[in-house]
Amino acid sequence: MTDVLTHAPTTQPSPPKRRRSRAQRDRIFAWSMLTPTIAAVGLLMAYPIYIAINLSFRGGEIADLQNLGQYPLTLGNYADVITDPQLLGDIWRSIVYTVGVVVPAFAIGLGLALLLNKTFPGKRIVRPLALLPWAVPGVAVSAAFSWMLDGSFGVVNYLLRSVGLIEQNVAWLASSDTAMTAVIIPTVWKFYPFFTLVLVAALQAIPGDLYEAARLDGASAWQQFRYVTWPALRAPAALAIVITGVGVFREFDFIFPLTGGGPDDATTTLAVRIYNEAFEYFTFGASAAIGVVTMVIAGALLLMAGRSVREGMN
Amino acid sequence: MSKVLSRGRTPQQWGLLAISLAVLVVLLFPVYWMIMTSVVPSKELLTSSPPLVPPADSASLDAYGEVLESRPIGLWLWNSTLVTLGTALISIVISTLGGYSLSRFRTKAQQAMGFTLLFSRMLPGTLLIIPVFVIFASAGMINNLWAVILVNVAATVPFTTWLMKGFVDAIPAEIEEAAMIDGCGRLRTLWQVIVPLLRPGLATTFTYACILAWGDFLFARTLMPNPSDWTITVGIASFIGEFSVDWSGLMAAGIMSMVPMLILFVFLEPFLVKGMASGSVKG
Repeated sequence: MTDVLTHAPTTQPSPPKRRRSRAQRDRIFAWSMLTPTIAAVGLLMAYPIYIAINLSFRGGEIADLQNLGQYPLTLGNYADVITDPQLLGDIWRSIVYTVGVVVPAFAIGLGLALLLNKTFPGKRIVRPLALLPWAVPGVAVSAAFSWMLDGSFGVVNYLLRSVGLIEQNVAWLASSDTAMTAVIIPTVWKFYPFFTLVLVAALQAIPGDLYEAARLDGASAWQQFRYVTWPALRAPAALAIVITGVGVFREFDFIFPLTGGGPDDATTTLAVRIYNEAFEYFTFGASAAIGVVTMVIAGALLLMAGRSVREGMN
Repeated sequence: MSKVLSRGRTPQQWGLLAISLAVLVVLLFPVYWMIMTSVVPSKELLTSSPPLVPPADSASLDAYGEVLESRPIGLWLWNSTLVTLGTALISIVISTLGGYSLSRFRTKAQQAMGFTLLFSRMLPGTLLIIPVFVIFASAGMINNLWAVILVNVAATVPFTTWLMKGFVDAIPAEIEEAAMIDGCGRLRTLWQVIVPLLRPGLATTFTYACILAWGDFLFARTLMPNPSDWTITVGIASFIGEFSVDWSGLMAAGIMSMVPMLILFVFLEPFLVKGMASGSVKG
């Protein structure tokens, strides 16, 4: 019985066989074209993740990172990290930082996108200028803001004093009350252009007839936004928010040069903690364990946002 | 000509321009302040009420000369250029092949790629640098620019492959079928028929890869301990932690690190919006 079934195709004449071999050739072609991508992602992302997870389960004083096999396997790093009350603080600060960046960056990005979608003279020059912060290296952004936010000579203090919002200079980066705000501002500045870019692109895809039809039906400006613009923006906006959000959640380039995680850990997010554990205290196992915990948290947040992301990627 | 004139400008349009300019003044103030700081001598800046425009009698480009003399800025910029161009060119090739494959052949890889994109964004760079360092140390590639290039390629490729898939999706399959019926092989069809149509996509991928690689700090810092191998971002970061910061010099270095990206951006920005519209993030 089974014999008959498995042999049935070969009794057929050649055409279906040739068609199958063409499909097979296509498959081989498709996969070989994809090989460089898979190699790049596999060798430099999958393998490092494997090493990091391996490292997170190793005990003892780890000095020889190239031969991890010699160190005993243990759950001690996770036990230490999870019972350490500081972890909750790090997670909380990561969330504050992420939300603190994404919300204003999205608001600025959306406002600019709506503005740049209108016709006005000089728009061709205004648009690249408005998107410009995206092209500035993060470290240069940090340098500029560390100077502008300087406690004694910073221009931000000077301007705020001039308009009477503050009386005394504020030590933005050196005081634990203001340090988080001070690292959020440059990050917002760097990230809003991505939202503008994505939203301008989405706005341009809306057919003009839709607005005309809405106007003919007597829709107000707000109604046009609510019922024509926003539905077209929702999916790309959700995807951009998630991509930026997970990016900011593990962002390092702004916080580390500006405050190094201080003062008093006020700006120690998970990403900064991972770095400091490894390169300040040389506790590699703990650093890797926090890293894995960070990945799990970010993954969980990603899954929670999963539905809107799938819509955006369709 | 008369058509352009007859279209005219309404007061409302001038109003929008005024709003845009006001917004730009606020948004670009940090860039202005960097330029301003770089042309004013440090001692005039270290007061509680710094001048808001460069005083005519003391403004100069001295800070640029000094910082170029005291640090190997030129070398760092050159290293950054090599890393950036290497990353961008390799990423373009890899992601064009990968994007074409994902667009034209429906495989399981396609879905997996979307998640790989998000997953790669999620990975803390600070977690990856220890293993990445270990890998390149075993390969004897510390202080080797190729190490930085390869890591940046890996960081760029998930997103750019996804982006390129979107661009290939927008090209009707009939075009290449016609070429293949004429006897063109698959690779030749890709090179001679598809690639020329992908130009906006290539420009978008190039810009994205350049911005990412040029801005990279963590990987270059970890893999390049030797100061003469530093990229410009690592060089700039080395200023910030110093005991007394030379702000004019630091801002001059910052401006020099921005200029190449600004030039690139001005040329390629029009493609970016089109790219995003037809590419990955369409609704």
